[in-house]
Amino acid sequence: MRVIALVRKESTLLLRDWHALFLLFVMPAVFILVMSLVLQNAYALHQGASVRYYLVNEDSGPVSAALVERLAGAAEFTRVSSDAPASALEEQVRSDHAQFLVHVPRGFGQAMAGAHPLALQMLAGPGVEPSVYKLFEAELHGALARVYLQNSIAGIAARIPGMDTSGFDLDAVDKLLHSESLYKVAGRNQVPSSVQQNVPAWLLFAMFFIAIPLSTTWVQERQQGTYARLRSMGLSAGSLLAGKLLPYIGVNLLQVVLMLAVGVFVVPLLGGDRLTLGGSLSALCLMALAVSFASVSYALLIANLVSTSEQATIFTGAANLLMAAVGGIMVPRFLMPPLMQTLSDYSPMSWGLDGMLDVFLRQGDAAMAAPEALRLFLFGLACLAAAALRIRLWKRK
Amino acid sequence: MIQIEGLSFRYPAAERAAINELSLQVRPGSLFGLLGPNGSGKTTLISILSGLLTPAAGVLRIDGRPMPAETRTVQRFSALVPQEHAFYPRLTVIENLRFFSGALAIPTAETEARLTEALSITGLDGFIAVRAEHLSGGLKRRLNLAIGLLNRPRLLFLDEPTVGMDPQSRRFILETIKRINAGGTTVVYTSHYMEEVEMLCDEIGVLDEGRLLARGTLTQLLGEGGSHRLGVSLNAAPTAEQRRALGALPAHEINGTEFSIEDCSEADLRRVVDALGAAGLGVSRVKYGYGNLEELFMRLTGRQLRD
Repeated sequence: MRVIALVRKESTLLLRDWHALFLLFVMPAVFILVMSLVLQNAYALHQGASVRYYLVNEDSGPVSAALVERLAGAAEFTRVSSDAPASALEEQVRSDHAQFLVHVPRGFGQAMAGAHPLALQMLAGPGVEPSVYKLFEAELHGALARVYLQNSIAGIAARIPGMDTSGFDLDAVDKLLHSESLYKVAGRNQVPSSVQQNVPAWLLFAMFFIAIPLSTTWVQERQQGTYARLRSMGLSAGSLLAGKLLPYIGVNLLQVVLMLAVGVFVVPLLGGDRLTLGGSLSALCLMALAVSFASVSYALLIANLVSTSEQATIFTGAANLLMAAVGGIMVPRFLMPPLMQTLSDYSPMSWGLDGMLDVFLRQGDAAMAAPEALRLFLFGLACLAAAALRIRLWKRK
Repeated sequence: MIQIEGLSFRYPAAERAAINELSLQVRPGSLFGLLGPNGSGKTTLISILSGLLTPAAGVLRIDGRPMPAETRTVQRFSALVPQEHAFYPRLTVIENLRFFSGALAIPTAETEARLTEALSITGLDGFIAVRAEHLSGGLKRRLNLAIGLLNRPRLLFLDEPTVGMDPQSRRFILETIKRINAGGTTVVYTSHYMEEVEMLCDEIGVLDEGRLLARGTLTQLLGEGGSHRLGVSLNAAPTAEQRRALGALPAHEINGTEFSIEDCSEADLRRVVDALGAAGLGVSRVKYGYGNLEELFMRLTGRQLRD
C-alpha cells in the first residue's frame, strides 16, 4: 500500500512537470533522430556522396582516361568538378572543403610501362579519418592496378604479333571475390545500415541519462525535508527506493518505445535508413527491461551519494560519458587497444551494448541476450543494495 | 512520555557533539518547549526522538519503549513536523494529505475521516484543491502541520513550526497547537522565539551547544534571579541634575533611558516611582519581579538568544 502511494505520487508529479516531461521524452527522441541522421553516412560509404575529391588530369592519354573513368565508377566517392588550378584545389582540400585531390601528371600514361614511371599524387585533407584515407587509397590502388594490367597486356600484345588477348578478361577479377554480411533481414543477408549499427548504442546511452532527472528529484526531496518526514513515518529504505524505481522504469521503457518509434517511422521520412527491431520481440523486451533496471538503480545510487542537484547533474553526466567511452558506445570495442577492451568488460554500458547488438544486429533471441541481461540485473541489484545501505546510514543535516 | 539520560550524538566529521550528555524528562500530556539559538541542538534532538538519528550514547525511552530498538513502534504513535515545508509543491492540499495518508498505511476505510479531521483542525477545508506551491506561507505551515496530524499522534514533534510566518498565521498555528495539546497529545516544540514558548509551553528546556542549561515550568525558570529586579523605561534620558536628585535611591544603574535596580525590595519600589516623578522623569514602562526568557538565556549562556 505504501509503495502504491509512492508510485502514484511520483507519477502525478511527473505528469505535472512539463519541463521534466520534455527532458525525459522529447530530448531522447530528438537525440536519437539527430544521431541517426548524422551517423547515416559515417561508415556507410556505399551510400556515397559524403567523400568528395578533386581530380586534375594533366595527361591526355587513354591510360589516364581509363583511370579517371574507373575512379568515377566508385559510388563511395564523388568527384567535384573544377577548372581551378591544382594549387587552388590543394588549398580547398587543406581547408577540408573536399577530402582528396588526385593529380595525374602529364605523360603519366606513357611513362607507366617505362623505366621511370611517373607517380600519381594523392593528397588528403587534414580532417580525413585514417579509415577513410585507407579506403580511398585502396580504391585508387585498385584502379591503378587495373589500368596498369590493361596497359601491360596491351604492350605485350603489341610486341607479340597475332597474340590472342581475348582470354584476358579484367572483369573476371571482380568474380574472384564473394563478400556478404552475416546480418540478415527476413532471412536474407544484407549489409546493415549505419543506423542499424549505431542506434542501439545511442539508445542505450540515452537510457542511462535518466539518472540526471531522477537523482536531481531525489536530492530536491531530501533538501525539502520530505524524506526526513517519510523516514519518520517508518517508511523503509526499500519502500522509498521502490517508490522511485517502478515509475522511473516505466518512464525509461516509454523512452525506449518512443526512441524506437523515431528510428522506425520518423528517420525514414527524413531520408534516413529505417531501423529494424530484430527478430525477437522477447529479446528486445528483456534487454529494454534489463537496461532500464540497471540505469534507474544506478541513478538511485548516485542520488544517495551526492549532496546537491548540481553534483548530481555533473557527476551523472561525466560518469555516463566515461561509461559510454569505455563501453564501446563512441568507439567500437574492436578498435580499442587490449587494455581498454579489458576495461570495457566491466562497463555496464558494454554489457547493454552487447545485448542490444544481439537483438538488433545478430538477430538473437532472449536466450542469446540472457547473459548480458543477467549482468545488468545483478548490477542494478548491487546499486539498489548500496543505495539502501546509504539511506540507512544517512544522517539528516 | 519521554525519558532521556546521558544522551550524546555527534555528526560525522563534526568537531563537537551536537547533543552532549543530555538528560531530560517530558511528562505525558505536556507541551514542552525546547528553546535555544540556531545550532544549539534542537533539531538534532528532535531527529533523535523521532527515530531519524541514532544516538551514540545514552538511554532514550519513549512511552516506556527503548529507542532505537522500538523506533518503528514509536513512529506509529508519534509524528514529526519538520521546519521545512516537507510536502510536494506540485500536489494539491488534498493530494498531499492523501499521499502521506497512504505512506502512513492508514486503512482506506479510515482515510477520508482522517483527512477531514486534519483539514478541519488546521482550517484548510477551503483550500483542498489548491496546489501547495500556490499557498501562502502561513497556509503552507498549516499544511505541514496537517500532515503531522494524520496518524492522530499521541506524541507530536514540532520543529520551529512558525518560522517566517506573519503574526496572524502564527497566532492561528499556536492556538491550534494548544488545542491539539488540550486533546491529550504530548507536544515537543522547538523554537528560538521566546515569546512563543512563553505563551505556549507549560514546561521549558533551554538548550545550548547540545547541553540542557535549565529546565522547569515557565514560572520556575523566570522566577529564578528575576524576582527582585526592577527595570524602568523613562521617556527621556535624565539630565545631570535629575541624576543627582535620584542619588538617595538604592544602588541603581542608568543606561540612556533605562533605569534599573538589580535587588529592589517591594518597599523601595514605591520610593523609586515617587523619586522619578519628583525629579520630573516620565515613565513609559515598569518591569518588576519577573524576568523573561531572553534575560534568563543571557544569564545562563552569556549569548544572545537569536544568534
